[in-house]
Formats: sequence, structure tokens, C-alpha cells
Amino acid sequence: MTDDLEHLYQTTYTAVVRFLYRKVWDAERAEDLAQEVFVRALSHRPDKPRAWVFAVAANLARDEARAAVRRRRHLTLLKGDPIAQPTVTPAADDTVEHDEQMASVQEALNVLTPRDREILLLWDAGLSYPEIAAQTGLAVGAVGTTLARARRRLVDAHDRQNSDTGTNAAHS
Amino acid sequence: MRHIPEDELHAYLDQALSRNQCVEIESHLADCHSCQATRDGIAALRDRTTALLARLAPPRSISPSYESLRRRADVVVSARRRRMRAVAWAASLVVAVGLGYGASVLHRPGRVTTAASSTSAQPTTFAAKSSDTPRTLTPLTTTDRPVRQDTPAPAPRTAESSPPTVRTANASPPTADAAPAAADSSRAHRESVLAVLDPVPAVELTKLDPPRESGEEFGGMWRTLSWDGAQAEAGKPLPHIDGLPIMQVQVQRAEGTRPLMVVAQQLTSGQVIRTIEGSATDVSQLLSRRQMSDVDSVQLRGTTRVADTINADHAMAMQLGDRMLAITGDLPSDSLRAMIRRMNAEMRSK
Repeated sequence: MTDDLEHLYQTTYTAVVRFLYRKVWDAERAEDLAQEVFVRALSHRPDKPRAWVFAVAANLARDEARAAVRRRRHLTLLKGDPIAQPTVTPAADDTVEHDEQMASVQEALNVLTPRDREILLLWDAGLSYPEIAAQTGLAVGAVGTTLARARRRLVDAHDRQNSDTGTNAAHS
Repeated sequence: MRHIPEDELHAYLDQALSRNQCVEIESHLADCHSCQATRDGIAALRDRTTALLARLAPPRSISPSYESLRRRADVVVSARRRRMRAVAWAASLVVAVGLGYGASVLHRPGRVTTAASSTSAQPTTFAAKSSDTPRTLTPLTTTDRPVRQDTPAPAPRTAESSPPTVRTANASPPTADAAPAAADSSRAHRESVLAVLDPVPAVELTKLDPPRESGEEFGGMWRTLSWDGAQAEAGKPLPHIDGLPIMQVQVQRAEGTRPLMVVAQQLTSGQVIRTIEGSATDVSQLLSRRQMSDVDSVQLRGTTRVADTINADHAMAMQLGDRMLAITGDLPSDSLRAMIRRMNAEMRSK
């Protein structure tokens, strides 16, 4: 039993971090949350650990997003007071290109509806159709339809973006 | 002959179909060029999606060992048990303090007034609701709260019997003198507040020692300090609200970083206000963790949450450079906002 969880940890930890990262957009935070997920799995011993792990990860990411919104709101409430902006560390040149590539995919991902995005990310994290269906409340038969739409939209949005920037560059 | 719908081809390529469905699709594909082309298009689309998403990956890092996570999980389980015990202790402390304070008010009214007036600038006592007919006399000892050394505290009286309290396994044996009991319950009280404040890294809970007045280093651990000790440690005035009794001062300090301070104060209505000051990342993490664990205890454990005294919905934070000042408490956000503004103005004027 312990071995099951350990095996799951070895095989899915990276996938869970990546899944969380695509939601919180902070590598360190994603790792913290992923560890939290497995610590909880160890004390809860769920029946279907793989699906459970991703369900909890999705919940944590959602809470995290809410907390972030709340923090922002509080800080803007106090706008009248002197608030120093957190300093941004300048990125090295080679990471800039990577960041741009990432940003363009991120933007394309934002074009999807939340549900389509969730299902695409769960699939990419390695969940099966039945697991995705169980977690999202979708019928198993509808997972394929949703994935078909999500993939098409992601690629289209990304291509459109790139052709836009291409035209802009040509004009300037 | 019907062509294969696109979503079915997605499911086929995703290997999500039954053996029979696969056979059906494959036999159709063998003869139908149009569907073959569609399949190839979808296969390419699938690959592109995977490639695009692969860009959205965090920088690779070393994953912690499974063993270390197991240890953390063990600690969480035992901390959960401790927390439940701590709640019982906190409740008994409230009773003890209430009775004791009531007794001292009844028996030594003059003395108490002197103490209160001479220390009006320094927050010293619990705002206790007097109980009308206390049956036992419980002394208030200075271990209960941070009191300045020169403050004339209500003189401890020897009690006939200890207050009705529960004992933990490691508590000292009961004696006729109630002072050890008060010390025990104050520790339990600290533990309960700790559990409320810092539910995630539960390691601190299990390793928590009785308070140390000296400036010993505890990387990443919470320490409870006296008011003077904390002030000495911080080397500057602590963030607090003037005029409210201070219940507890907690400090966490990692090496070479700014200490994270939490000052708990009580309003006359009994609500607890916590002022948190530290580096912006620490404070916001503390706030967000607290929120997370609230949700956790409600949703996952299905039990009532321990953190009832803290509702992170009622938190107000202000960032000044890399420092962050936050107030939490179950108060309307307007009040919190006014408090934090005033505190900020005071701290800047000093």
C-alpha cells in the first residue's frame, strides 16, 4: 500500500508540479503545493490516489487563486498609502525568449473556457478519460468532444497570435 | 457508409476506446481516404498541443525524497491530535483566568486599580469577564502575560484547590499550589494559538519548547516571547495597537532574515486581533496558508475548523518596500483598515 503511493509519487510528482504551475504561475509555489498534496495523500490514504492527487491539486490551486485576488483587493483598497511595488528581477537574455514563448502559449490557453482548459490540462497531466470524467463531472463520452475542441482552440489561438505579431513586425 | 466523427478520432488516438470500437474504426480507416486524412490532421493537432503545453513547464528542480514527505505526514497526523487537545486546554484556561481575575477583583479591588492605572500605557492584562461567585481562588501569575518587570502585578494568592482542568501526559503533577497549573494552561493556550496560526508546517508544533527569554536562534520556528524580550529582539517598537491588552507575542526568525512577528491582542468584546509584521513574502505566505488550511479543514477533513478565531477573510495588509504589515481579526474591513492606517502613521513617525 505504501509502495503504491511511493510509486505514484515517483511517477507523478513532476506532473503534479507542472499541473499546478500552469495554474499558479509560480514555480516555487507550485512545488510547495505539490508537496502539500502528497503529504495529505499520505495521511489520508485515498482509494484512488492518482485521481485524488489531481483533484486536491486543483482545489489548492483554486484556493490559491482566490487568496491572491483577495490580497490584491486589500492592497488596492489601501492605494492612497505609499505602497512600494515589489522589485522585478531583470531576466537574463536567454530566458527572455523562453519567457516570450511561454507567454504566448499562456495567452492562448487563456482563450479557452475554464472547463476546456481544465480538461486539457488534466489530460496533459496524464489522466485517463474516465479519471477526467470523474473529476470534472463530465460524461466519459464528452471528454473526447471537449478535448477535440480545446486542442483546436489552443492551436488556433496560438497561430492567430503569431500571425498578428508577424504582421505588426512587417509594418513597423 | 458513415465517416468517423472527429471527437471519436481524438478518443481513438488517446486510446480511450474499447477494443471493439477500435476494431470498427480501424476497419473503416483502411478503406476511407477522407477519414485517413482527418486522422492524420488530428494526430498532428494532438502533437502540436502537446508541444505547446510543454513550453509551460516550470524550471526543473529536485523533488524532495518520499521519506521526507512521509515524515511530514506523520507530524501532521500527530499535530492534529495535539490541536484537539489544545482546544480543550484553551477552554480550561479561559475558565481559570475568568475565575482568578474575578477572585482578585473581589478580594483586592484597590490593588488591581493601582496596577491598571500605573500600566495604562503598557498593555498588560487580559480583559477578563468577572464571574460573579468564584468558588476557587486562582492566582494570576506573570507567566500568563507579558508584564513589565517593574509592574506591580496582583499578588499571587495560594489557592485552596486547583481549577478544574484537564492534564496532558507530560504535565507536571498536581500540587496544592495552583501556579504550575496556570503555567501549564498558559502553555496549552500558546499551543492552541500556534495551531491556529501556523497549521501547515506542523513541525514547529511538535518541537515547541516552553518559552525562552534568551535570544536563542530557532530557524523557522515560532517562539513565544515576553513583551520586553520581543522588543529587545526586534530592536524597535513592535507593531501593535495602542491601548489593547497583549495576549501573546510570537516571533519566527530564519537566519539572516527579518523576523516575522505576530502580536495578538484582545478587544474588550473578547475578539482577538493579530498584527503581523515581517518581510512581504513571509507575511503574505502566512496569510495565504492560513486560508488554505481553513478550507482544507472544512472540505477535506469534514470536521469543524479549529481556526475559528481567525478568519483570513478579515485581513488587511499593507506593503512598504519589502516589508508587509497585516492585521487580522473578525472585524469589519473598515475598522481593520483604520487600524492599519493609524499603526502605519505611528510607525513612520517614530
